Amino acid sequence: MFKYFISFCFIFLAAKSFCQETQQDKVPEKKTDTIVYKTNYGLRLGIDISRPIKAAVSSSYTGLEITGDYRIRKNVYIATELGYEKETSVEDYSNSTSKGNFIRVGLNYNAYKNWLDMNNEVFIGFRYGFSVFDQTLNNYTPNVSDAESGNYFPATLKTTSKAATSLNAHWSELMIGIKAETFKNIFIGFSVSYKILMSAKNPEDFQVLFAPGFNRIFESKTGFGLNYTISYLIPFSKK
Amino acid sequence: MKREILLLLLFCTFFAGCEKDDFCVKNPVTSKLIIDFYDDTNRETLKKVQAFSAIAVGKTDSLFTNQSVNSISIPLNSLSSETIYTFKKNTTGGATADNTIATFSIEYDTEEAFVSRSCGFKVIFKNVAFSAAENSWITAFTPTTIINLDDQSAAHVQIFH
Repeated sequence: MFKYFISFCFIFLAAKSFCQETQQDKVPEKKTDTIVYKTNYGLRLGIDISRPIKAAVSSSYTGLEITGDYRIRKNVYIATELGYEKETSVEDYSNSTSKGNFIRVGLNYNAYKNWLDMNNEVFIGFRYGFSVFDQTLNNYTPNVSDAESGNYFPATLKTTSKAATSLNAHWSELMIGIKAETFKNIFIGFSVSYKILMSAKNPEDFQVLFAPGFNRIFESKTGFGLNYTISYLIPFSKK
Repeated sequence: MKREILLLLLFCTFFAGCEKDDFCVKNPVTSKLIIDFYDDTNRETLKKVQAFSAIAVGKTDSLFTNQSVNSISIPLNSLSSETIYTFKKNTTGGATADNTIATFSIEYDTEEAFVSRSCGFKVIFKNVAFSAAENSWITAFTPTTIINLDDQSAAHVQIFH
């Protein structure tokens, strides 16, 4: 024990040492770097794999999203996502299903300064989103209970479904995410987005609770999104 | 890769945990009928009903039990076009033999309207007509009809006794 105790003391023993020699007065000669690291420019196509996972976990959801972007500047990409979603919103007093297609178009700005010829991204993006969908109110129960007299005259579940077709929603979206080149030209990306609904065409006597591409519409007309993509870059040129 | 999958799972649970965010804070969602009780002789002043109980026809539980109230709010049956209430009062003592009852019926049409995701649909009662049984402790009431029962800011009916 004492043997170790003594050696333990050595941990706290710091030796004063110099690792570098004192600086010389001579100014070192400046060499300009002539090597330019080129990266691939081209069309990158991908698929959102979080949606099939969500569909497998939740029985009330199915969806597919294809992503694409095209590099126009060193740090700027034109980006788009399009897809299909179907979701059943199960609420306390209503049950409704929305299904339809959506598209999002916008720009990504890569704020990450890459080392050498690496091609990774930490990006912020802006999107305009648009979706066309149908929403069916499957069933509902009128809310007739209250705190004082409880559910004195209970209401019954109304099962006559009401379908509303060709509804639409427009929104803007701010996103932040990362993309990493894991293999040559294959990227894994992850992003989260905050959406603000600009307008939605509501069905008569009801409201859009879920818009494809937008996700659940919160009371404040905002929403959140999540993407986990695997994409492949088709290189067109090296710049 | 493994770390990214873990990260994804973490975010999935984070977003799944966000599901129930908005709660219905509106109470009640469907409007109730508000009745104020006034003195029959001095029709400007509220008068309490002693030992008041209200029970709807066909129900076994009463909404108020022997309370002294000058304003009540009672629910209407959305599944029917008529709700009949029996109002009981007892001004002397409280013995069952001294109970006096009055029947008050409300006829209406129903209509549903969407409120919000968390509150669901409310019922709006339209073309509401009131009637009271003759020779009861309710001497008069006003108004006899209202077009739309959809707010809770003021009393809908004044009953004189």
